[in-house]
Amino acid sequence: MSKRISRRAWLTSVPALGGLLLTGCSRETFVPPRVRGGLIGAADVLTMSSNRLLLSGQPLAREFPRSEIADPFPTWNQTNPRNEEYQRHASEGFRNWRLPITGLVERPCELSLDEIRSLPARTQITAHVCEQGWSAIGEWTGAPLQRVLEAAGGVTPAARYVVIDTFDRWYESYDLFEVEHPQTILAYGLNGRDLPRGNGAPLRLRVERQCGYKNLKFLKSIQVVDSIAGFGRGTGGTNSDFGFHWFAGV
Amino acid sequence: MSDMRAVAMDSASTSEPARRSDTSTTVHSYNVRICHWVNVVACAYLLWSGIHILLDFPELYWGNTGYRGYPAVFRLADWGLSWDDAGALGDRRWGRNYHFTFAWVFLINGLAYIGWNLYSTHFRARMMPARDELTVAHLRTEVRDHFRWRSRPHSSTGTYGTLQKTSYLILIFVFVPLMILTGIAQSPGFTAALPWLLDLFGGRQSARTLHTIGTVALVLFVAIHVLEIATAGFIAKVRSMITGKLRQQ
Repeated sequence: MSKRISRRAWLTSVPALGGLLLTGCSRETFVPPRVRGGLIGAADVLTMSSNRLLLSGQPLAREFPRSEIADPFPTWNQTNPRNEEYQRHASEGFRNWRLPITGLVERPCELSLDEIRSLPARTQITAHVCEQGWSAIGEWTGAPLQRVLEAAGGVTPAARYVVIDTFDRWYESYDLFEVEHPQTILAYGLNGRDLPRGNGAPLRLRVERQCGYKNLKFLKSIQVVDSIAGFGRGTGGTNSDFGFHWFAGV
Repeated sequence: MSDMRAVAMDSASTSEPARRSDTSTTVHSYNVRICHWVNVVACAYLLWSGIHILLDFPELYWGNTGYRGYPAVFRLADWGLSWDDAGALGDRRWGRNYHFTFAWVFLINGLAYIGWNLYSTHFRARMMPARDELTVAHLRTEVRDHFRWRSRPHSSTGTYGTLQKTSYLILIFVFVPLMILTGIAQSPGFTAALPWLLDLFGGRQSARTLHTIGTVALVLFVAIHVLEIATAGFIAKVRSMITGKLRQQ
């Protein structure tokens, strides 16, 4: 992997470098995988590195009392992917659905929904914060992504990002700092019931410290990679390919 | 553009420095002038991009929860602009990119302004109301003159009136920090690190509502600010914020 280090890359590395020294984390904890040009790119780096500095102790996002739960939980955008494969899995109650975990893991594997349900679970009552401006609180139950990766033997030392694909043809990538957070879970339950189709059945990602569009629904596969360069337009996600922020902490 | 020409003519006509010092006084330092115009650009972008973000979800709520169908405290649809029409006007991708970019420009510029002027004597010498300015009699006179549009002695000397000083200080040290905090209280990343922001404003949606109300208040502040300048001589005042010099009347 060859990298041409531009003057801009150097300049935008300055705030990140401070964080690097303070916490001992790697560059991708503070800088988006592909920095955009100009003032917007510089602001992206400032936003991500300042946020990650404040979060370096990995505190939990606010968890709310049951009384604040929205039930039924609102649905938005895609609620039923027209994808043939998805429709077949849905009609079979997701019995034959498998989640492939490939790439830079020790033992690439496929997990069934029951196998994911048998992993240590976490339940959290958190706010889903959409970048459009709406927010709603739900009780999510699922397996921490870290535990799921451990079921595949854990990530190798070269691993940098986790890339997730969905049945509605979406993809997003996450740095390991986000992956390791205890509230980063693959949710199969919402408000005490199975995750409804409109909210992303059979499995959706919860990254509680980022906006709604990073919380992918209808999960299809997980890949662990050292670079996001080969995916989509190379910005690290469908949303950032469209020009939204890759780091959606604000 | 005509202001710029006026500035060019002004500097061209003052080739004799002695003459200039006779007719004009320095009323704004370099740092105040630079920060002022950077701030104008940043605030213009923040306002315009903020409107775009709001138009894409044109309802406001109170508390932690708010989504389409949930009881709202403000709906643009009640004011004649339907959800779809508002959404067609707003572009939140453009809006979010520029809002967060110019939020940084605004913040860094503001911190530079405050740091610079705490180090210099600007705040102490010119922004803090003197003791005799805070007497009831003095304030009464100033308020009365103000509403009679009477020209004030400070408008030609470059010193600020007591009302002006007080409103600037409240703006800089109370209002602007609240705008920044209500902004980041909407962020899932920053509220994970600073959860007290949610308690301070009564929830994420309350913060969004307060941020919008604050924007309206800021627009009114700028409108009054520009109106005040217009009454004191718009061209001369704008020129003084560019060149630093104000000609003696």
